[in-house]
Amino acid sequence: MNTQLRRTFYLFSFGFVVLVGVMAYWQVYAREDLTNHPSNGLQSRRSQETPRGIIFAGDGETVLARSQRAEGNEYERIYPEGEVFANVVGYWSSRFGGSGIEIGQNNNLSGTGEPETLDELLNQFSGGPETGNNVTLTIDPELQRAAYDELAGSNTGRGAVAAFDPRTGETLALATYPSYDPNVVVEEGFEQISEQPDQPLLDRATQGLYPPGSTFKVITAAAALEAGVRPTDQFDDDGTYETPGYTVYNYRGKDYGEVTFAEALVFSINTVFSEIAVDRIGPERLAAMAREFGFGEDYEDYPLYVEPSDLGLPPEEWAVGNTAPISFGQDRVLSNVFEMGLVASAVANDGDMMQPRLVREVRSSDGVILDRPTPRPLNEVLPGATAATLTDMMQGVVEDGELLAAQIEGTPVAGKTGTAENPQGEPHSWFISFAPADDPEIAIAVMVENGGIIGEDGAAETPALTIAGNLMRTYLDRPAPAPPARQDANPPGIPGGDVGGQSVQPGGQQQQQQQQQQQQQQQQTPPDAFAPFRNQSPQQTPQQQQQQQFQPPASQQQQPFGVPQQQQGVPQQQLEEGPGG
Amino acid sequence: MTQRATIPMAIALLVTTLGFATLIFVQEAKSPPLIYGAYYAGTMVALYLGVRLWLPHSDALLLAVVTLLTGVGLVMIYRLTYDVPGVENLATTQAGWILVGSAALVLTVLLFKDYHRLFNYKYLLAAVAVGLIASTIFFGYEVNGAQLWLRVGPVNFQPSEFARIALIIFFAGYLADTRDLLAATSRTILGVQVPALKYFGPVALVWAASLGLLVFEKDLGSSLLFFAVPLLMLYVATGRIAYVILGTVLFSVGSLATYFLFDHVQVRVSAWLDPWSQPDTGGFQILQSLFSIADGGITGTGLGEGFSQAIPEVETDFIFSAIASELGLLGSTALLLAFLVFVYRGIKISLLAADDASKLLAFGLTSMFALQTLIIVGGVTKAIPLTGITLPFVSYGGSSVVGNFVLTALLLLVSESAGRRAAEEEDPEVVEGEAA
Repeated sequence: MNTQLRRTFYLFSFGFVVLVGVMAYWQVYAREDLTNHPSNGLQSRRSQETPRGIIFAGDGETVLARSQRAEGNEYERIYPEGEVFANVVGYWSSRFGGSGIEIGQNNNLSGTGEPETLDELLNQFSGGPETGNNVTLTIDPELQRAAYDELAGSNTGRGAVAAFDPRTGETLALATYPSYDPNVVVEEGFEQISEQPDQPLLDRATQGLYPPGSTFKVITAAAALEAGVRPTDQFDDDGTYETPGYTVYNYRGKDYGEVTFAEALVFSINTVFSEIAVDRIGPERLAAMAREFGFGEDYEDYPLYVEPSDLGLPPEEWAVGNTAPISFGQDRVLSNVFEMGLVASAVANDGDMMQPRLVREVRSSDGVILDRPTPRPLNEVLPGATAATLTDMMQGVVEDGELLAAQIEGTPVAGKTGTAENPQGEPHSWFISFAPADDPEIAIAVMVENGGIIGEDGAAETPALTIAGNLMRTYLDRPAPAPPARQDANPPGIPGGDVGGQSVQPGGQQQQQQQQQQQQQQQQTPPDAFAPFRNQSPQQTPQQQQQQQFQPPASQQQQPFGVPQQQQGVPQQQLEEGPGG
Repeated sequence: MTQRATIPMAIALLVTTLGFATLIFVQEAKSPPLIYGAYYAGTMVALYLGVRLWLPHSDALLLAVVTLLTGVGLVMIYRLTYDVPGVENLATTQAGWILVGSAALVLTVLLFKDYHRLFNYKYLLAAVAVGLIASTIFFGYEVNGAQLWLRVGPVNFQPSEFARIALIIFFAGYLADTRDLLAATSRTILGVQVPALKYFGPVALVWAASLGLLVFEKDLGSSLLFFAVPLLMLYVATGRIAYVILGTVLFSVGSLATYFLFDHVQVRVSAWLDPWSQPDTGGFQILQSLFSIADGGITGTGLGEGFSQAIPEVETDFIFSAIASELGLLGSTALLLAFLVFVYRGIKISLLAADDASKLLAFGLTSMFALQTLIIVGGVTKAIPLTGITLPFVSYGGSSVVGNFVLTALLLLVSESAGRRAAEEEDPEVVEGEAA
């Protein structure tokens, strides 16, 4: 009998061994497949029951987003700064998806990344809570608030600001107006917000595309200097520039006579820039310079999605009638304040464009520094000498052009205005600048949508200029690192101000069509969107569906000019004819 | 067989304490009154001391394993229910059942210290078993499609948990008497040697009666146990593999028949074969179980950090999935090893027992315990089709806990008799002195 007893014991033991094997199969071998199975809702539940990390502004104190325990075990996101930082911080909701840094830094914030400290490793082993890491941004909260308020108080109440530290690439401010309250999104979704006019969900700073107008002349001037044009070279302006079939006029029909290249930048003389672009630079070199400055670049390492700036046609297809208006940022040139801010930064930083950054550091919940990116150059755009010459010319724009609103007592400022014609209405008011010009601490781009309101005397308002000046003063006036004071003579110059892009007869209608098709941008998706949900489900999750569904409304009527990426198949409307021709 | 287990007892209680401490201090679970913890620990310690006193030669390690299993079960039931409205007090109820089970164990030990007397009443026990099972057909009520429950006053209980033990006693007693006759068969049918109907008849009759009733009650898990345990006992008693083969053939035919006869069997089987295509209906429970198990990984999510509350019936049939989810592969393997230790000690008791009836009794009880564990763990891990039975000592359930305490009591009694015999052989005088 004992033999049989032993045999059955072996049978039972075998059964237990098989069960351990089955457990090992599920818990080790097949674990990933099961975790990713579409019916498996455990991961999304987990993400709701884990507090996400805190998002701090650049001062390390201002809380931009934190998790607060809501009903049950779930956490809810609170955004103490509301609208002011909404385009940067974004929102995070289990029902409505996420955006901004909340998505761009989700791996850090959710704590779903690989364990990085001993504590986290122990936590993972013991199954303790994996609290998200805290993320500190580079944004200067005071400057951001000032930028937001300035935009709110601008003449049209629509616009954007991007400010960088040109030496490090740190984003100092990235403001858009109108904005939305992410707390409302978390609470009730998008219904109320999407009913508001002027598309508050659109980040005009990074995602809206607008003709840059004369601010583009900085790029053209850089290409001209590289092509051998000297600031002192003389040009004769008779008020028009003829291309086969079209004529470029100056703003308000002015003619300036004999001017130097430097003066042409100061007075923003379209005819001279057209002539230089056509005769001295050529399409290929102009397009190449724009690409060096970041046109066509989506800055994929930047945690927010940036809509690439665009020149329209490839340069080999440019006719003279395209090259001329492109030289002063019209035709089909589209950009945004993010890109134009980086253009100013690159000139400011001796021609080296730094990698734009938004995250200063990442710390675990108990304060261990996990990541602190160091500044690194992105591209050597210009030789130092060329950048210095261009800086002098841009300084001349502010000083000789008597742009009083942008001048700072005791600090040299370099800049360039723009009044960009567009078929939607009044021109967009632009200003890009940096200061102090001899040792730059801040580079800034400001755009007020349709803010270049043409007055009765034919002169356009320049709200962007005022805003940029105020913001630079705000930033530089603070006690901390005092900029070296240098008293510059402020010689009385010729009355100027900006002269915007001028009318050109459009190129062939067929080219226009082709162009429009190229402008149909792909629907934008942040590169790291929904990383945590990706391992939850290979299929589309409800959150993803919601995310797409809640893109800003696709109402054609309310679409601000140059925002093609929000929907498929809406052709970018092009500049055809501007006023004042 | 004498086996002290003071340190294992202490470890088992420590594990339980740690589990509750984790839930209360780390997970901030609302604490049940501490007095219940004291009741539980006091009960198990008193039980251990009582057994050491009354059954000094018994295998007390069984009690340490029981303490560990009931302790882990209590922690897990508490974790799964403390924040669920309506069942917040399930853990304290379970602690109450453990108290009742302990009393049943003590009562069994005191009443049947000479357990051989039980074999005299084997036919009566068989009749009681069949009667108990049959009673639910007339007086029982249905839970989850199976009519297994009997209401006696305020208490609901599952008669089949106790009928099993009665039937094992019957089979042990009967097979011990007739094993030689059953083994020495001369007739063959279709090349298979069959025993004389005269001796095999009563076995087959009781077997068929209990099995048939259970099939009608749709209690598939218990049916499997009622079928397999006597079969294994028959094999051990006679040493004839032919019984096992015959039984397996019968089982296969029976399974096919029930598959075609009963809708709920078809549902169960299709949920086992392909739960993926029906994740929200038939396959929901098993898929939630697998997701929870996989979520645990090697080290588990940590006690209180898992999401196994999503599994229906998690505190009873699926408690193993919750443990695997929160304690991981390491924890679930450790738990399986604890079960295996119990089975190992049970088989050892059987090996050392003096007489055939005792051997068969110990073996029958042990194999029921082992098979029950294998069937439910295999079920929740999709290794075999799911049948609703409890994980001994761990699952929530009064009848199951009390029944398993009685099972342990009988094993302790057999081990006491074996231990006493071994001690007598070594040093008769000591034993005489103790007896006096």
